[in-house]
Amino acid sequence: MNIMERFISSWQKYRKPGYYEDFDYAWTMSIDLDRCTGCSACVTACQAENNIPIVGEKELAKGREMHWIRIERYWEGEYPNAKLKFIPMLCQQCDAAPCETVCPVSATYHNQDGLNTQVYNRCIGTRSCAVYCPYEVRYFNYNSHHWDSPLDQQLNPDVSVREKGVMEKCTFCIQRVRQAKDHAKDDGRRRVQEGDIQPACVQTCPSEALVFGDRKDSNSKVAKSLADPRAYHVLDELNTLPSVVYLKKVDSDG
Amino acid sequence: MASSALGLFHDPDSALKAAGDLMHAGFARPELLSPIPVHGADEVLGPKKSVIKRFTFFGGIFGALAGFSLAAGTAVLYLHPTGGRPIITIPPFLIITYEMTILFGILATVLGFLISARLPAIRERLYVPEVAVDKFAVTVVCDTQDNFGRAEAILCAAGAEEVRNLNEDGS
Amino acid sequence: MGNEERQMQFADVNDDVVRSLTETGRSYYIALATAIFVMLACFFFPWFYQLYYGIGAAGMNHPTVWGTYLASFVFWIGLSHSGTLLSCVLHITNSEWRKAMYRSAEAMTLFSLMVAATMVMVHVGRPWFIHWALPYPNQMELWPNFRSPLMFDVMAITTYVTGSLIFIYMGSIPDFAAVRDRTTGWRHHLYVLLSLGWRGTDTEWHRLGWAYTFLAVLIIPLAVSVHSIVSWDFAMSLVPGLHQTIFAPYFVVGAIYSGTAGIVTVMYVLRKYMNFEHFITKLHFDNLGKLLLVLSLIWTYINILELFTGWFSGTSTEYEQLKYKLFGFYAPLYWEMILFCAVAPLLLISKKFRTSFVPMLILSIAINIGMYTERFLIIGATLSRQYLPNAWRVYVPSLVEISILVGSLATFITLFLLFVKIFPSVSIYEVKETMETPKSKKGDTEWQAAH
Repeated sequence: MNIMERFISSWQKYRKPGYYEDFDYAWTMSIDLDRCTGCSACVTACQAENNIPIVGEKELAKGREMHWIRIERYWEGEYPNAKLKFIPMLCQQCDAAPCETVCPVSATYHNQDGLNTQVYNRCIGTRSCAVYCPYEVRYFNYNSHHWDSPLDQQLNPDVSVREKGVMEKCTFCIQRVRQAKDHAKDDGRRRVQEGDIQPACVQTCPSEALVFGDRKDSNSKVAKSLADPRAYHVLDELNTLPSVVYLKKVDSDG
Repeated sequence: MASSALGLFHDPDSALKAAGDLMHAGFARPELLSPIPVHGADEVLGPKKSVIKRFTFFGGIFGALAGFSLAAGTAVLYLHPTGGRPIITIPPFLIITYEMTILFGILATVLGFLISARLPAIRERLYVPEVAVDKFAVTVVCDTQDNFGRAEAILCAAGAEEVRNLNEDGS
Repeated sequence: MGNEERQMQFADVNDDVVRSLTETGRSYYIALATAIFVMLACFFFPWFYQLYYGIGAAGMNHPTVWGTYLASFVFWIGLSHSGTLLSCVLHITNSEWRKAMYRSAEAMTLFSLMVAATMVMVHVGRPWFIHWALPYPNQMELWPNFRSPLMFDVMAITTYVTGSLIFIYMGSIPDFAAVRDRTTGWRHHLYVLLSLGWRGTDTEWHRLGWAYTFLAVLIIPLAVSVHSIVSWDFAMSLVPGLHQTIFAPYFVVGAIYSGTAGIVTVMYVLRKYMNFEHFITKLHFDNLGKLLLVLSLIWTYINILELFTGWFSGTSTEYEQLKYKLFGFYAPLYWEMILFCAVAPLLLISKKFRTSFVPMLILSIAINIGMYTERFLIIGATLSRQYLPNAWRVYVPSLVEISILVGSLATFITLFLLFVKIFPSVSIYEVKETMETPKSKKGDTEWQAAH
């Protein structure tokens, strides 16, 4: 009963949550909050690498920020005992992403590398993914942007420039991931090794607070981070299965 | 040429009585034209079968199948995993199925109505404008002049305000 | 009742309705011209400006990406619920008082749905690609994502528009036949086409009765599902304050509530300006008032439930949302909503209030303002305060948004004004059914002598 078996195996395949038996690579980023100084070099690097638009003072005053990674800053206590805490917040590339289900035109989906991809030319701008994201890491292009000269000469040719009405977010520098995978293939079909690929923010962080790698590789630094007792996920209780693990800052007072 | 006798009545009860008398006298089934639906027409003129419910039912079944095929079929055609859900997710697809069931049920009901009421009327049919205002009409086909005479008598006996002799097309 | 009933004959109904169609006064043309002008100036012109400059013309910002456009969309879909849903429910229960006003109520449904569809087009960032949300075969071999609540919306609203259109048309076929006989010119040709050659035979009435009942039975669950699905756009998110199971009943009740208030407004306008005093009477307003009171009580109950679950949940985010809505930046709007939708309708307990026309009009408009505020709060206030405090930001609508809101109302009024001159806005045969059927004149010797 070849047809019957094929039908049953197809049905089981299509009913598996998440569809993928196993990811090719499970890209993970670990952020050590002990090392993070809040310098925002990662924000600048991301802006340079990914052609992030510059929205301008007026638009920013209206609240239309545009940066794919932001440093969240929280004050605790009052002067002279005030403490400052910051945490870089970027797209968590959730395995059970709430934003992916709601796009009516399938402009965002989960790819084979465990990344949450955004397809700019399919997006019609309903902005429901931004509502559904609990981390608020999706940013919408409210206007068309332009870069004053000579900034328009430093745009990255590997990354598209988004027009108005399109949603965008951190992609773990998927252009660099693709490039690393291509090089690995050219080198004789080997896997991408630790250190072959670093997104712009990871590359720039001066205190090496950001670490990037494949958590399927048990020797990678991120795999070790996941096993660290300080490790936690933001908004864990929502069960979004994020791919970004934070290492809690250990303070003198706990 | 076959013609029709048309009797205009002031109220529905007289019209029904006239229709009943015509049927007892052996005429072919008369038609009752009215501005509002007349209760009691079924007892006098014979019960009517409604075929519309079959249309609705099969339309709904077709819609359910079409809805689930649309949702599940298109999900399988271009594999697009989202949100850690399976490709064929049952609760969302059941909603699509439900909506399509109702859509096709509605469309099938309309189709059933048009077919069973024989609308739209392409050719002219027997009609007088008074029946859309406040008169009730009984029409019956009379093939001979004698029959027309008999029909006229029955209609007047039942209380017709006016009896007309019309051709098939209403002239 | 006695005197008025005896004077009103079947022929008068036809006369009145045909007159409402064919005789047009200057005030009608002035109203129509004003509505069209406001529609063009306040809806289309700002929309084209927004198409050129991007959604930035509206007041939305980083976490509050949804604003008045979507609130208006939900509001218009809600307004659409009453007409067809109420008409179907009252038909199934064989209620008499529905018969004079349901035609206009159903028309209200249809036009609200059209305006809601335009609000979707205003809302999306790239409306020139909005056809991608429809399932059609294309060279990219791409289909829309049917797992998305927004796609449920697309399917549900398409079905509801089709169903409403078919329902209002089917009910009007005998009326088109009645007005076809008395009109001339382009109207006559139009009604000849639309009446499909209806003659009024017993077969036709029988079939129409069955088909109409089946349609009513199908449309009731459809209407309930449509607004539930609209609510799931919000309830399926993880936003605290939106992610609640009560949303489906909440929205359906809210829709019927605001829609019934809309019907009261429309009935007042029709009665006053179309000379339908015979058809739309104190009885109708009394019954609509009772319905509004019941719905207001249910709506209040659900709001109290929301307060209770927010407080009882104990989680910081839900409680924070609750405190923000009640005492935060949008608190004046919240209390205004409670005043207009929960407190003011308690006036409907008094029968004197229910049967007075102008107070009912004012209350119905107040209820709709309150319900619009409710939709605005659901979108604007909850998105302002989500999980991460760093991303809390207040949203204030811009001039473009307010203008488009006014323009959408003008669009609705334009469509309705055009409707009253083309469709018979009161159902002729159903009104005749509420009147006494003529009785046999056999006992009348005078009449016998004349015949």
